[in-house]
Amino acid sequence: MHSLYEIETTVKRSAKSQGLSWGVSEEIGKAVRVLEQSGLQGLESFKNIIDYGFDNLIKLTDINQKETSNLCPIHFGIFFQDQSHLKEMHQTFEFKSLQEPLISIPFLIKAAKKNLIYFHIHSNNLKISITPSEMTSIDQNKIPNLINNFSMHVTPQRQSQYSDKTWEGLYQLSLETFVEETEEKKLSGAGAGLSDND
Amino acid sequence: MQVDLRKPEFVMKLGRLGSFHQSKLSFLRSFIREFKDWDFQTHILELDNFGFGHGVYVVQKGNKQYSLVCFSNHLDANERSDRVIATKWDASFVLYDGIPSSEDIQRLKDNVPLQEQGRVTEKELCLSRANKSVRVFEHVVDQLSQGHQPDTSLLYSVGYLYRTTAVYGSGKFGLADRIKIQDRGELKGPFRLEMMLVYLARQFTFDVVNHVAHHRSPSTSVKLSDDIARNLGIGNSTGLGMAPFIVNHPALLNQWIMAKEKALQAIRSLSSVKEKEIETFQSYLSTIQDNIKYWKTDSDYQVQKNDQLIHDLKDFQEYFYSKKIEKFFWNDVYEWAEKNTEAECCEFIVSLMMEVYPDIVEPLSYEMSIDEEDYFDIDTSRNINEICQLIEKQYTWLLEVDFKEKDNIYNFWYYSKNKQEPRLSDRFSEEGAELELPLAIARDIQNLYKSLKEMDPTKDLSFYLSKDQQYRHVLRRVFICEQLPYSEIQDNTISKALVPVDMLRLKLSFFGATRFDPRSDRWVRITMYQGAPLMKEISLSNDSWSYKKIA
Repeated sequence: MHSLYEIETTVKRSAKSQGLSWGVSEEIGKAVRVLEQSGLQGLESFKNIIDYGFDNLIKLTDINQKETSNLCPIHFGIFFQDQSHLKEMHQTFEFKSLQEPLISIPFLIKAAKKNLIYFHIHSNNLKISITPSEMTSIDQNKIPNLINNFSMHVTPQRQSQYSDKTWEGLYQLSLETFVEETEEKKLSGAGAGLSDND
Repeated sequence: MQVDLRKPEFVMKLGRLGSFHQSKLSFLRSFIREFKDWDFQTHILELDNFGFGHGVYVVQKGNKQYSLVCFSNHLDANERSDRVIATKWDASFVLYDGIPSSEDIQRLKDNVPLQEQGRVTEKELCLSRANKSVRVFEHVVDQLSQGHQPDTSLLYSVGYLYRTTAVYGSGKFGLADRIKIQDRGELKGPFRLEMMLVYLARQFTFDVVNHVAHHRSPSTSVKLSDDIARNLGIGNSTGLGMAPFIVNHPALLNQWIMAKEKALQAIRSLSSVKEKEIETFQSYLSTIQDNIKYWKTDSDYQVQKNDQLIHDLKDFQEYFYSKKIEKFFWNDVYEWAEKNTEAECCEFIVSLMMEVYPDIVEPLSYEMSIDEEDYFDIDTSRNINEICQLIEKQYTWLLEVDFKEKDNIYNFWYYSKNKQEPRLSDRFSEEGAELELPLAIARDIQNLYKSLKEMDPTKDLSFYLSKDQQYRHVLRRVFICEQLPYSEIQDNTISKALVPVDMLRLKLSFFGATRFDPRSDRWVRITMYQGAPLMKEISLSNDSWSYKKIA
């Protein structure tokens, strides 16, 4: 299993390799880290976005923009994180579709806490409320009044939420932000040519 | 009298930061203060006649336990390299959370000697490796095996038996993330686990030489004397890997510098001084003037700095010995040093002043950590004009830099593909600048400023960010700097004039390193824990060991 540090840096670098700015890449690194730490499949969702291709996703940059299908969840999340302190944002908006909505959630949680606001997302297949408190409810109507014969596993061990294939794919992308080493660079880049047998 | 903190525009220049010295705030010293009442034991030492095998050292108090697992392996001379590109080392180490089982030790044996190519788990906290100082190691073993103590002039000219070449922590290569341990009281200071690893590794180096000497000649050998061992530290050889850390962790950097500046401010604000305090200062000053002769280096840059330090200290000593005791004595002393000595000496005197006042300085060592997540988010409700003014106030110096000048954008920082380590290269003659790391802070903040200036100043930042995300990574730094004034190095980190070794020195001085020996402008050897109490006597430490005569 990978550490949260490795997850964050690999996601950050692979986001950068796809043309996102360093600042946005830092944000998505932290968001996926939070999701994985929470036992949610952030890394898989992020990989799905990359496979889908950022060129095929629409960035939300203006609340009045007409094209709202296939919205990018990173830019959707960052948009609300950045904008939702504005009073004109406190209303109901309609969007056509959002890829991998899970990725947007950490951004919305931050915005809710900072601005003491509530996000209620309703669609055919997802109902979620994000509140300024620690609790985020996903389809609260589905929580029964009683549960029977249940178990509860308590562990300090985080469970991996992604496949080896997903990790390897992202890791290879993260390497695209690194510079191939030439002999010249080996000699000049970090101070070489020393004898260490002294 | 009101004494202000020194201004960031004075302190945060690399020429000054690169002249910092170890002090009571240094992490290896706060580690010893924190752990001196813990129990340190050699748990396992299974080495063959040549010193190859493994050892385990346990540090415990109540039900809290940490273990250093050490592996010693044969290494051919042609494989010995301190560079990060090395793949084999004389020794490798891992700090384990608890006491490892035999299964754990086997798992670690398969992975730890491989370092970056191996894999560790969240049970492990820090990872490191070290190479022998071949000359010193062989001499010590040879002499001990014949029943003699080694030649101290040779030993102290090097200062250690082994030198580490990297110490990794915080989630690297599968190690435990910092969140696992950050709430433990004993780990409240920065890099405390790394300091523990290095301290225990130093003990392993002594145990290895004693073991090998004994097996070379069981009937004649003697053990390395405690007095000599105590005056040996553990070396460290480090390249550029350290430099980006201090740029990438602005909030943490502020805490380190702020602790030092608060200590200095408090001492300068003392209206009176006792004779005893002056005597203590004089005695440390005189000891360290003797010890400086062991600071050997071939680096012209450092030779010049050391020579200047020796010269300035002589002048300072004359001034100090003739100075009358007056009100605000230490403020006068500091002001004299700032006016009449170079940064190397001035910062040395600051460290020395801190030695005299443990009650002022030591509590500040608990303020040197910070939750960096608290400073990550950008307040997008702030007005664009307000942010421009903040930049004009906090970053005045960089607004004057001409980034069209080739020399001002000469270097770029990048990660090398084969070792994933930070490097620095010439933008105009080497490939890869398009993959530059976001460490060109001065250039990017100037660009941010220019693009903000093109916006309607009455709008808020959310408007700017809806149009442009390119400089988001430095925008957050403007907010950090507003709250944490010592968070930014006030120099251009991509300039041709950059001396990267100054960045390494800054970090290493906070670690507690001494004897800076730059091997190039981007590579330095240092010594840690020279003079420190041995493992068996740590409980007796009174934190004055940094100022004991080496010989």
